[in-house]
Amino acid sequence: MGPDTDKTIFSSYVRKEGLFDEVFGKDGNVKSVYQKLLDLYGSRSIDDYVTLNNKAKSSFFNQGITFQVYGDKQSQEKIFPFDLFPRIIDPKEWEIIEKGAIQRSLALNHFLWDVYHDKKIVKDGIVPIELLSSSPNYLHQMMEVDPPSKIYNHISGTDIIKHSDGDYYVLEDNIRCPSGVSYVICNRTALKRALFGVFNHYKTHTVTDYAENLLNLLESVKPPGVDSPVCVVITPGMFNSAYYEHSYLAKAMGVELVEGRDLFVENDFVYMKTTQGPVRVDVVYRRIDDLFIDPMEFHPDSTLGVPGLFAAYRKGNVTLANAPGTGVADDKAIYTYVPDIIKYYLDEEPILKNVHTYHCSRPDELQYVLEHISELVIKPVDEAGGYGISIGNKLTKEEIEQVKVKLKANPRKFVAQPIMSLSVHPTYIDQKESFEQRHIDLRTYTVLGQDKQFVLKGGLTRVALQEGNLIVNSSQGGGSKDTWVLKQ
Amino acid sequence: MFYEYEIDYDTQNSYEKGLSEAFWQFMVIPEDNETQEVTYWHFENDLGERNSVSENGLGFKTVQVRSKQVIDHIKFNAHFKLKKKEINPFGFDLPLNLEDELQILNSIDFKVDHEPYLRKTSLTTLPEQHRDIFLFDSDKSIFENLTDLNYWTFDHIFFKVGVTNVDTPLAEIIEKRQGVCQDFTHLFCAIAKYNGVPCRYVSGYLHQGIGFFGDSQMHAWAEAYVPNVGWLGFDPTNNLLVNHNHIKVCHGKDYNDCAPLKGVVYTLGNNETKYSVLVRTAQEQQQQ
Repeated sequence: MGPDTDKTIFSSYVRKEGLFDEVFGKDGNVKSVYQKLLDLYGSRSIDDYVTLNNKAKSSFFNQGITFQVYGDKQSQEKIFPFDLFPRIIDPKEWEIIEKGAIQRSLALNHFLWDVYHDKKIVKDGIVPIELLSSSPNYLHQMMEVDPPSKIYNHISGTDIIKHSDGDYYVLEDNIRCPSGVSYVICNRTALKRALFGVFNHYKTHTVTDYAENLLNLLESVKPPGVDSPVCVVITPGMFNSAYYEHSYLAKAMGVELVEGRDLFVENDFVYMKTTQGPVRVDVVYRRIDDLFIDPMEFHPDSTLGVPGLFAAYRKGNVTLANAPGTGVADDKAIYTYVPDIIKYYLDEEPILKNVHTYHCSRPDELQYVLEHISELVIKPVDEAGGYGISIGNKLTKEEIEQVKVKLKANPRKFVAQPIMSLSVHPTYIDQKESFEQRHIDLRTYTVLGQDKQFVLKGGLTRVALQEGNLIVNSSQGGGSKDTWVLKQ
Repeated sequence: MFYEYEIDYDTQNSYEKGLSEAFWQFMVIPEDNETQEVTYWHFENDLGERNSVSENGLGFKTVQVRSKQVIDHIKFNAHFKLKKKEINPFGFDLPLNLEDELQILNSIDFKVDHEPYLRKTSLTTLPEQHRDIFLFDSDKSIFENLTDLNYWTFDHIFFKVGVTNVDTPLAEIIEKRQGVCQDFTHLFCAIAKYNGVPCRYVSGYLHQGIGFFGDSQMHAWAEAYVPNVGWLGFDPTNNLLVNHNHIKVCHGKDYNDCAPLKGVVYTLGNNETKYSVLVRTAQEQQQQ
């Protein structure tokens, strides 16, 4: 049965009590930033919408914009579920997000410098030493190393949600190899194709210049003494879930995409093998995790990295972005200290709020968590991609007991947070052939360079496609929306 | 007074199926420190490839060799001349009373400054069931406790080659009571750290006197940090405090930070590694 031709886009849209809807106010009125969009498309039929949406989707598939999910029985390329209906952010709200994301990234950069040098924040009793000494991402080898321009977290992905109270909260900081930015750009490209007329009515900041700006900043953190740096993107290879993004960014920046075996190190300089002979490499945008970048220094049996790369880095002959060892600052146990970290280094109040977090490593907090599992989200401190998360109110009694056993066995590995009610956004659901409310978050991309920084004016709005689901990661069945940041 | 040493490190690695690309890193160069100074070094490999001197992540010198040809073996030789000072193992004051020592050990600044060598690794974590195998005596100074631990380790483990390897877990070493210098050192480090004393694994050469264990191989011992004194060397394999016969190459959290040879080779099939070490004083040299 096909969709009803006289059904308009929102004719069967149900707004649930207690959820914060991004498009409709409590009174049911359309919020001002969406008004124009609804004026233009609100009276169109669902059929029209589906036609447009399918066109956009096929353009994704044709461009090969796919990802893989780990742990599937057979690994398979999927297209990232995409929904044409954009999320629109008002300039005033964006200003808060932008300032808040930069503030966080700068403070975390100060934190990284400090924990790899004087460790004042620990000696002053703000951050407990145990959080560092128990973190596998706190790299002994980075002690006293001065990264070029003193920058560690060149690229940060900050995950932000809007709670039902209407305020933005940071859910987590990703400062190892945050991914997803290629979807931001491809979403925009697809939307411009499908809905080109709309962009005449909205003054939206562009996102398609991201790669150019990124290259600019990567070049600004080149090693001292290099005039025009050669940059490369290094990928673990085509079996990595974000391989599409690695190749996209390399192509968009106009630099080579390499794997470990395409590079070699000699006399502490890094070279790329080419048909014209070796070419010296100065800046490596690396999408390989710390422990795999150099088998001489880290996991000895990894062939993903480049032997000798770390020695070249330590010597200052090559820049790695992000710097090795950033993982110590995006550990979810460190997350709780970010407001204190901001105050300590910047002497400022945090602009973006943190979600209250319980540390299972503290006996009294562990006790609270064990007694209130059904009201909490339990997260492993060092996993990315939404793996290993348990949402208390979705667990059966049996599962709760299993979680308790895990928590007691390894309390340092877990934190817990109250279940936040992420805002919802009208999202087209294929199976229902209609728009429904779905929870969303926003991943922003902040880039730090030599004396300059920017937040990509847009970001990845991730949608939890299952009704009521709060986990938005693409690896957990999430989709995405184009995100428009309006000009003032 | 100075001792003058000559050291030879020789290795041969053979690869059954041959290699088209390989990278080796040797951590065999003695460090320059207050008690020793390298006056000459020479490296040679039979592939005709460049021997590049670099540094590892903790700042110790390495030699790197990269092969770009199809080969089935590499021979590598390092030759050093070194001057070593006489060391008096007791050449320091034990200035503090026990209370002050403990106070320093428990202070946050101390724990932060020495975090890397208080951090437990898989090779230096005491197994749960052996936590109390050697507890420090609160009526003795840290130094006395460490000396006792040195003797205890020497006494507890019987030196035997071929029973353990670099991956043998500590529990097995404690239970079998057999092992080589690495095992003695890991056990010493694990116990010192468990008692709150920073401790690191040292790799180096031992000039063998009569009856010392150490063989014609790289040797391993430990350095522990005594408040207000600094790092002191303990050789639990021989129940010695380190002296002029111990020539240090590098230190780290455990063996994995100090492996004399690391390599990345792209090959199928087996490989075989042989190496030998010869340490002589200049006098011995003349007698030959």
